[in-house]
Amino acid sequence: MANKSGSIYGLTIFSPIKDEPNIEVSHSLALRMYLAQMPRHRHSPFAKFSGTHFARLVVMDDVVYVGMPACEEHLQSKYLIFESNFDGDLDLYLAQMAKEIPQTVNDLWQHCEGFPGVADLASFIAYMKACQVTTTFFFADVNCKTVDQTLLALQTQSAVATFIEAHQGAPPGQLQEAFAQFVEKLNKAPLPLPGATLGKELVDELV
Amino acid sequence: MSKLDPTDIQGFVLRGYTFPFARYLLLEILAMGGREFIAKLIKEITTGEHWDQGKPRTTVNVAFTYKGLLKLELPEPSLQSFPSEFVQGMKARGAILCDTGRNAPDRWEPIWRNERVDAWLGVYAESKPELERQCADLQGLMASTNGAEVVGSQDAGALVVDGKVTTKEHFGFTDGFGNPDYTGVRRDTQPGQGKLGDDGKWVPLATGELLLGYADEAGELPTAPIPHLLANNGTFMVYRKIHQNVQKFRDYLHAKGKLYGDKEKLASKFIGRWRDGTPIEISPNAPNPDLVKDKEKNVNFTFGNDPDGVRCPIGAHVRRTNPRDAFGFGGKLVNRRRIARRGLPYGPYASEEQIVDDAEERGLIFIVINASIFRQFEFIQQQWIEYGNDAHLGNDKDILMGNHDGTGKSVIQGSDDPSNAPFICASLPNFVELRGGNYFFVPSITALRMIAAKTVDPR
Repeated sequence: MANKSGSIYGLTIFSPIKDEPNIEVSHSLALRMYLAQMPRHRHSPFAKFSGTHFARLVVMDDVVYVGMPACEEHLQSKYLIFESNFDGDLDLYLAQMAKEIPQTVNDLWQHCEGFPGVADLASFIAYMKACQVTTTFFFADVNCKTVDQTLLALQTQSAVATFIEAHQGAPPGQLQEAFAQFVEKLNKAPLPLPGATLGKELVDELV
Repeated sequence: MSKLDPTDIQGFVLRGYTFPFARYLLLEILAMGGREFIAKLIKEITTGEHWDQGKPRTTVNVAFTYKGLLKLELPEPSLQSFPSEFVQGMKARGAILCDTGRNAPDRWEPIWRNERVDAWLGVYAESKPELERQCADLQGLMASTNGAEVVGSQDAGALVVDGKVTTKEHFGFTDGFGNPDYTGVRRDTQPGQGKLGDDGKWVPLATGELLLGYADEAGELPTAPIPHLLANNGTFMVYRKIHQNVQKFRDYLHAKGKLYGDKEKLASKFIGRWRDGTPIEISPNAPNPDLVKDKEKNVNFTFGNDPDGVRCPIGAHVRRTNPRDAFGFGGKLVNRRRIARRGLPYGPYASEEQIVDDAEERGLIFIVINASIFRQFEFIQQQWIEYGNDAHLGNDKDILMGNHDGTGKSVIQGSDDPSNAPFICASLPNFVELRGGNYFFVPSITALRMIAAKTVDPR
């Protein structure tokens, strides 16, 4: 089950954060500040390329010592954790990251040890894979559907509910005619953008 | 398991009194005699003492907001040790609770909007004269000690229908089923009211789901103030004044009932019970008065064999707020989200034939007792009333309780049987609107004595 759940790939990356005692702002703090202002939801850079169900970036400082009887342990460094659940193949996804959002990738991973940049795709992919750990838990809402299939299903569900509300109880002939028109419109409707809220207007227009 | 001392626990924590009359006195505590008032109030407080000599004619209980505890001068380390949601109070939790729009604090009654209430006195009585007498006694105590002032008062009581005292609420549903059983609490246990054991039989919930100082369903002590003696045998209370738009409900049900084909059946699908209280999971086609009376059966059901909501819709109120085994894992996912309810309606009953002005005072005083407001009440309100994802219902809200604002939608599942067709309720208005409320700490009798004597010692 590792890394793949049906057609969905679960990527987990732990990249060691640089430790330089002689700089003004530590790399981990610089990362935290960058992450805090990163756009989210449909404005997230990861929404720019289709196929990302869920992506999360976290700075991990250390393991927390909770006192006896736990033994005191520490990580060898701080880590930038990147988790993503996406459709399809890992190499393609990493290549998409390098191509579509190179600035974001550089801004983030420049704070990490050994990051080769994104200019040389092969070394970028090799670096990310070297930092990869096996994924065993997936984002709970990820099932075997692609992002596009999920968006289409949500749009359909919402539109069908509105259609039924508007037409329930109508005579069969009228209902069939209305349904045929509805299905035609629904089939022609553009796919909602990733992260978009399904607006009432959009659904109303379909019905 | 620790043995409970019912004489140290406020009575309404352990049982619903089922008195027909109630008045909630909302107090400001006065610096001069606040603690003296509490000291003298203690002998009036009804505990969980067993009523071997029959019911008393009246009962009195007390609870405090965080501001009230401040005024009673609890030591700073104790004050700082209370759970943050209690310290913040219900108004500040509005965004989490979806108390926005029509339910937002700026539309609350001034007493709640301005957070004036320091203490709550719950007075229950067998008759109106007894209620007046008890309240007058309490007013006298406040005056003589110069310890508190009544800044608001809320009457509530059982609805009288055709001259009979009932357990109905204003939408016409019979209420008051399904309070959980807790270990150590004496009452007539009914199958269906605790939690599901590994063998599928019903057993009481851990005491720590109801009371502070005892292990909860996770085997932990609930978050509680220090010292232990201040918290032990105490609990937290949620008070919400919920206005009911009775006419709006009747109009909606009438209009949709015509489309659905059976108005009463549609009403039953909203709640999960027919209006007489018959659970539709057991009796989906018709009410059954014998079933309502049968304590072995009227809360004894599960949803595991009805995953598609054919009998009881997945979004029906009783299924949302107590999903029992519906989420799998033998029901274990719901055991930490159970609450005891002690609510009563307010305002006069309006018969079905009567045209109701929804501006009139009519609703429910919703009272919750739970060990953790954050983990129990707030979770249910946020995730199961105002959201539907746990039940795979997207963002559908509870039909009756949801803050819909005219745009709500809810799917009522059905089957291919034409008398049980699926139905979609859309353009849902707010059938209920919040008028205010707050979070309260309900101390034990020991804690009340310590507060009154200023001997709470957190060191």
